Amino acid sequence: MSQRSQLLKGILEGCILAVIKMEPTYGYELSMKLKDFGLSDVSEGSIYPILLRLQKEKLIVGEMKSSESGPKRKYYHLTEEGIKALQAFIYHWESIKQPVDSIIEKGRE
Amino acid sequence: MNAKDIIKMNNEKREQLSEKNKAYYEDMLTYIRLNTTKSEQQTEEVLLELLDHLLEADAQGKTAKDVFGEDLQAYCNELLTEIPGEKVLKNIYFISFLILDLLAILALFQGIVGYGLYTLFDIGTNSLSFPLGSGLLIGIIDLLLIAFWVVIILKWLKGSTFQKKKQNKWIEFLQLWLICSVFIGLSLVAFMFMPDFGITVNIHHLMIAGSGLILYLIKMFINKRFRVTT
Repeated sequence: MSQRSQLLKGILEGCILAVIKMEPTYGYELSMKLKDFGLSDVSEGSIYPILLRLQKEKLIVGEMKSSESGPKRKYYHLTEEGIKALQAFIYHWESIKQPVDSIIEKGRE
Repeated sequence: MNAKDIIKMNNEKREQLSEKNKAYYEDMLTYIRLNTTKSEQQTEEVLLELLDHLLEADAQGKTAKDVFGEDLQAYCNELLTEIPGEKVLKNIYFISFLILDLLAILALFQGIVGYGLYTLFDIGTNSLSFPLGSGLLIGIIDLLLIAFWVVIILKWLKGSTFQKKKQNKWIEFLQLWLICSVFIGLSLVAFMFMPDFGITVNIHHLMIAGSGLILYLIKMFINKRFRVTT
């Protein structure tokens, strides 16, 4: 596994929760949103195993609903548990991001 | 949305894929569906998501390998570890349904053929007589053999997906022929070598056909009510 995908694995889960929190989202739309935010070389298919896992952990719930463009799609939304998990992810991320940034910054000098 | 409706939707949508992606997708679909212990609802929901995604990618000239990675089988295995198992109760219902179906058809066939042979050609008697103990035991052995056979056929099918080179059709035919012959042979062995035990029962052919018909109607009703296969 490349260094990038190693790094991304845990983070992607948090990002998916964050995107779903903005508004109920279906699979393809989710992968496009991640791409738009700049996570462009995340393999598109890699979200589906994660979505299955998040459903199993009851952090998200999927419902088949008609979309505006017509066909039925599975829209995901966060559960109470999911909101808590997202908050925990943000907390952990903040506590890692700051020190890692300053370590790297120091290393550059 | 019921899994059976999702399957129907999948069948229709799949036709819109380009030839190459359709071949890729159908390999993935077969490989994933052959895992019969997984929740049918979850399996069909994720299969439809993959199809929807692939349809969008297809329109942009991308292939399944661009979306799901070079190694499609590894990707499917990754999905399979995350798909939850089917509920035990649902599995029990399903297997009971299959046994009911089998019994209904066997009884109908046995009753009608037995009655026909006796009244039209004077062959045999007007009823079926067999020792209850050995009859039941043979039935159980046959059911176990069928279950074992199904497991082996599913394994064989799973192994036949994602093949780089197309296997010779005759070799595949011979393999399947051999598997089937072994199981038919084993059930004949059980039938021929089973010693008679238990009281002998006599059941009129029309009785057997009648109970077959009743079982069949019950099976139809259950299937309609609980959507087991439709």
